[in-house]
Amino acid sequence: MQMNGLRNFIDKIKPTFSEGGKFPWLSATFGGFETFAFTPNKVTKSGAHVRDAVDMKRAMITVVIALIPALLFGMWNVGYQTSCALMAQGGEAFSFLYCFWFGFLRLVPMIAVSYIVGLGIEFTFAQIRGHEVYEGYLVSGFIIPMIVPVTTPLWQLALAVAFAVIIGKEVFGGTGMNFLNPALVARAFLFFSYPTHMSGDKVWIANDLWGSDALTGATPMGELATGGNPSASLLDMVIGTIPGCTCETSFIAIALGALILLISGIASWRTMLAVFVGGGAMGLLFNAIGANAYMQLPFYYHFVMGGFAFGAVFMATDPVTSAQTNCGKWIYGLLIGAFAVLLRVLNPAYPEGMMLAILLMNCFAPIIDHCVIARNIKMRQRRAEAGKEVKA
Amino acid sequence: MEGAAVLRSTDARNIATYAIKPTDYVGLVPRLLVAEGDIVAAGDVLFCDKKDERIRFCSPVAGRVKAVVRGEKRLLLAVVVEKDDACEKAPAPMPSDLKEQMLQCGLWTMVRQRPFGTVANPDNAPKAIVVSCFDSAPLAPCYDFALAGREDDFTKGLEALATLTQGKLHVCFRNGQKLLAKAEQVKSQISNMELHVVNGPHPAGNVGTQIAKLCPINKGEVVWTMNPQDIATLGHLVKTGEYRPEKTIAVAGAKIKDPHYYRIMAGACIESIVKAQAISCDYPNMVSEASLCGNRIISGNVLSGTQVAADSFVGGYDSLLTIIPEGNYYDFMGWLMPGLDKYSFSRTFLSGFIPRCLHSIFDMMPSCMKPKFDTNTHGEERPYVFAGNFERVFPFDIYPLELIKACIIGDMELQENLGIYEVEPEDFALCEFIDTSKTDIQPVIRQALETLRKEAM
Repeated sequence: MQMNGLRNFIDKIKPTFSEGGKFPWLSATFGGFETFAFTPNKVTKSGAHVRDAVDMKRAMITVVIALIPALLFGMWNVGYQTSCALMAQGGEAFSFLYCFWFGFLRLVPMIAVSYIVGLGIEFTFAQIRGHEVYEGYLVSGFIIPMIVPVTTPLWQLALAVAFAVIIGKEVFGGTGMNFLNPALVARAFLFFSYPTHMSGDKVWIANDLWGSDALTGATPMGELATGGNPSASLLDMVIGTIPGCTCETSFIAIALGALILLISGIASWRTMLAVFVGGGAMGLLFNAIGANAYMQLPFYYHFVMGGFAFGAVFMATDPVTSAQTNCGKWIYGLLIGAFAVLLRVLNPAYPEGMMLAILLMNCFAPIIDHCVIARNIKMRQRRAEAGKEVKA
Repeated sequence: MEGAAVLRSTDARNIATYAIKPTDYVGLVPRLLVAEGDIVAAGDVLFCDKKDERIRFCSPVAGRVKAVVRGEKRLLLAVVVEKDDACEKAPAPMPSDLKEQMLQCGLWTMVRQRPFGTVANPDNAPKAIVVSCFDSAPLAPCYDFALAGREDDFTKGLEALATLTQGKLHVCFRNGQKLLAKAEQVKSQISNMELHVVNGPHPAGNVGTQIAKLCPINKGEVVWTMNPQDIATLGHLVKTGEYRPEKTIAVAGAKIKDPHYYRIMAGACIESIVKAQAISCDYPNMVSEASLCGNRIISGNVLSGTQVAADSFVGGYDSLLTIIPEGNYYDFMGWLMPGLDKYSFSRTFLSGFIPRCLHSIFDMMPSCMKPKFDTNTHGEERPYVFAGNFERVFPFDIYPLELIKACIIGDMELQENLGIYEVEPEDFALCEFIDTSKTDIQPVIRQALETLRKEAM
């Protein structure tokens, strides 16, 4: 079949990394690369003799593909924002392609750092624990550079990634066992460790390559939190041509990703819808109160500002850290939406409520599930008692 | 799936060897009652249940005991009988009581109970008896065809079966089944029988699904089930006093030359059928001894059947023999390719966007676009990550992932609370099929049920 040469090469060097070979301690690393190249030849033993073609690698790569529209837009927007800021100082505007190239040069090192540090730790843990390399980090590692300000120093990013992977995930047993979304743990780590790098007006715009003064640009939420009105129009926010975290500004690009996730059935439409419903309801409630400018903001503004859409589509739906039962997903999503808007409006210290809302609900997801399942158990016990009565 | 059996049958009732395999029966500890060379008639005992000697496993044909096959630790694997019509003798006088009759000739072993999936305990009073008259699994046999010509035996069997319970006899059909019309004719004579028409995709035909919808099992309750073909055998027994375990099995799968039906006696050796029918596989390296020319032979369906060797025998409860290719090949960048020929319940491959009607109406798709089914796992085992998928193929009022986890950690109280008594491993077959984490779920459920059963004894 195809790629016989590569296969033969892998088969030839495989014994070196297996038990009894030269580098048995690298077997997980080798396996990681081997299964990356070839889906293994494992066959079923019993039960369901045939299996669905989807596996963890396929599922994860589908999420990564869904993230790509937002990433591409983010690259362009990084350049575009710098260009706008330079123009405001009397500079020249970047061309479309240069905007993209500018952002590309900013984001690729961030992605590289995230993957090298994160996957390095994952491989090490897989090696120590003696299991195959799990794919969970493929998505987390992609998301982390997308949800931080573009000016984040690479060393801070590396620290955050290491913290997220070790404390957020591996200490609980690795992929599938963590209760907090690793990408958000990284974001929260940066947010609380280096607050000056994470908020204010200066962090959202990348400096020109040859280093003029720090460029500034306020996010709509920053403006709202300080009592002003957003200078960007609703259309700007929907398209995403506003300052913000690298890749979470464009509602349209995120919607494209959401479409991919929903059609492929990878993400739960329940969670996604519930977050928007919850956020919308909370927004409407604030509209009804209407005590200040932020409260009077039409509810749909919340959807397109900041990280709301990105969080709802890519992070609230994380299957490991969200509620697992279908009923639980509704409650979980509604509360995330509601808390995110609540935090934004009532707590000016944290302009972005989405990250904290999701982390908070991550903590409560097991309790929500517990209650949902307890109801199922009660139902069963009641049915058993009813059955006994009929007999008696 | 490719290779469905066409509605045509070959008479294979003259196959030479037969066997009853204790391993087909859950939790059975057999006591051997014959020796090699003994002469037996149809319905003569071969071995019985050590814990309840009334439960007898009997020869399906008259002949000579050819072999007693034992495995590791002298575990009894099969008692093989060579058919010899000369050994036929006048049937022993049957007891008048129906239950005694069934026990004596071994037909009782075809009555299974839930929970646990064991042969029914004759002393129990079942809450209900549920019969599924259609099979919705891939390549499954059509019982209308399998029972053609034996409809009267079938209705007679239903009549007899209804007397075994104080509760209801639920019989489930697809809309428009011939057997349904037959059963409706006798409905007035059987007061506690209820007929149901069931719609929907697999697992609608699983008796477990039907029990869950009609009369969910609570702790301490028992429901019995029986296959329609065995009910026809029961009808024949009641009518004539003769034990004649005839069966029509479908022989199907992508690696079958001429997929169609075979009329056999229960427990027939599959060797002659397989030898005549199997197409050798594209990947010649053998996976296991059991595989034949790189194929896998499954007694039962591809979702919950048992892998058997080419010289094995039709399983006690099975009406289907499936042969599919083994999948011990590497797939270059399988996780990244568009995957036009890959079947997935999710829509993560391009194949998910080809309308189903194209498959069925035209059948003219290039072969690279036809979904292939083989035994490749399409990935490595992982911890559970995706939640909420199982619910889409698991029509019980049970949280499947939570129950599976309770089984893995061995928390019996939690298992009970989450409804383990309502399920059998086969009910989880579709969960196992779509599982992104590639775990083996059915063995986990079986093991948990066995632990609970032993605990209850």
